[in-house]
Amino acid sequence: MSTRRKVLLGGAGALALGAGGLAGRRWYLSREAEPLPTTDAGGRVLWSNWAGNEHSYPAKRAAPASEAELVAAMAGPRPIRPVGSGHSFTALVPTEGTLLSLDRLSGLVSHDTAAKTATVRAGTKLSALGPALAAIGQEMPNLPDINKQTLAGGLATGTHGTGKGVKALHGEVTAMRLVLPSGEVAECNRDTRPELFHAARVGLGAFGVISEVTLQNQPLTRVKKVVTLVDTDQVLADWPALAERHRNAEFLVLPFTGKSVLITHDTTDEPVRPRGADQDVETLMALKQLRDLFEFTPELRRRAAQAAMADIPPEVAVDEGWKLLSNERPVRFKEMEYHVPIAEQVGSLKEIIARIERDAKGVFFPIEARIIAADDAWLSPFYQRECGSIAVHAWYREDHQWMFDLAEPVLREIGGRPHWGKLHSLSGQELRALYPMFGEALAVQRSVDPQGAMMNPFLRKLLA
Amino acid sequence: MRLLLALPLLVLASCGEAPKPLTEEQSAALKPADARLAALYEGSCKSCHTVADSLAPLAGDRTRWDPRWDQGEDALLAATIQGKGGMPAGGQCFECTPDDYKALIRFMAGREEAK
Repeated sequence: MSTRRKVLLGGAGALALGAGGLAGRRWYLSREAEPLPTTDAGGRVLWSNWAGNEHSYPAKRAAPASEAELVAAMAGPRPIRPVGSGHSFTALVPTEGTLLSLDRLSGLVSHDTAAKTATVRAGTKLSALGPALAAIGQEMPNLPDINKQTLAGGLATGTHGTGKGVKALHGEVTAMRLVLPSGEVAECNRDTRPELFHAARVGLGAFGVISEVTLQNQPLTRVKKVVTLVDTDQVLADWPALAERHRNAEFLVLPFTGKSVLITHDTTDEPVRPRGADQDVETLMALKQLRDLFEFTPELRRRAAQAAMADIPPEVAVDEGWKLLSNERPVRFKEMEYHVPIAEQVGSLKEIIARIERDAKGVFFPIEARIIAADDAWLSPFYQRECGSIAVHAWYREDHQWMFDLAEPVLREIGGRPHWGKLHSLSGQELRALYPMFGEALAVQRSVDPQGAMMNPFLRKLLA
Repeated sequence: MRLLLALPLLVLASCGEAPKPLTEEQSAALKPADARLAALYEGSCKSCHTVADSLAPLAGDRTRWDPRWDQGEDALLAATIQGKGGMPAGGQCFECTPDDYKALIRFMAGREEAK
């Protein structure tokens, strides 16, 4: 064998070993976690959240079918933790006491056609609420990205959609019925027990359990959804104008590609064009494949991505808003999201993209930017402040420490308030500085739950 | 109508013919015969297991369920409680007991009479 051939074969062998080594490394880093025991030593069945990063073994599971049963359930083992759909990434739900599901408290209670309001049982899932409201000619002014949450869970965590001048879900609540830890049923609105209304609208499940909610809705409308692939530099430059121009606008930066996905929704009279088959899974897995192949050669990763995305036409759908604004999201992930002063959104987003592309080359999930109007709920991240939101994600199987190391410091430096249901490291002392009415909200919480019946360790840290 | 849709499944199962894929509409028309189980199904499993975009195997679609059924009921129960792949732990049914999960799996796998 010639020396040249030996060298070539040796090189090929080294390359193959290198490629194999990289593939092995990525396989190891992205492996499915060892499954948790389905029951603990006491025979209690595992509960885990959607992403799989929080769990507990509740002593009791309750699923009241009426408000009276909910009152009875409040006498269960402590702490009592209400659970919606388990979509929070933080430890709001884990309990060794009572896990209280609102699944059976679902459906429309009543509505007012003229006022465009509807009273809804708090356990209604958003995927069911959309068609229920459509049947009475109403819709919620906005919806979040995923349609699996319960209304109560969405309200408790300050869940939001996007749109200039459009509030988060709790911003359209006009009245609530709560079962307090004592078993008392409390009605509240802006005139009746206003302090409870302001404190518990975004209540983290710490003030009791919501049984019914009255929503200020709007007439059912048809919207046109357009999904376009754009240059990231361009969308960052155009973002304030884009947000002004569209009823709902958001964009997802595809890191290491120079490209972003712009999603807009606008009211229209155009004929219905149902949304096509889901493209998100295919897109995400393509981004993962690019990461797997080119993790350590970012320039190749960018070129390959841009070549692959060169001729992708916009996706257009026209339908009722509830069918288009929310999504299935079948790929599980973990997420950190902060809500920052609107003027700071683009600058901080640029810094986070730069940090990720410099120091976290394993990231492949998009970075999401949205906009939310101010409201007046005391624990709302949008309390008296229009916000731009920035969210970073990691596949559920992969490490997310980089969020805390790279993204959170940027978001905290500009006074960002964390989404209550998404990953963050803040404690009560730090939160108090961000929320002008934090002390007042805590005083209400202590007054309705003096024994701490609703408090798990995570809530004790938050509401210290 | 639901009964009519369910009948071909039973017939196929009994004569050993190869099962055929279901559409979303055919899957959504099925529900467990037991009222309590049906309520659990409607409140949790159905929101994904009748929607193709969710990537979950459609309820009643033996072409998707038979390979899973071959893993054994205990393995399916464990995967349901622990979560696996796109399937979140507990299938988002937080009031379900292990026996409920077993019954729901049997129904979705096309191993129990539907209504």
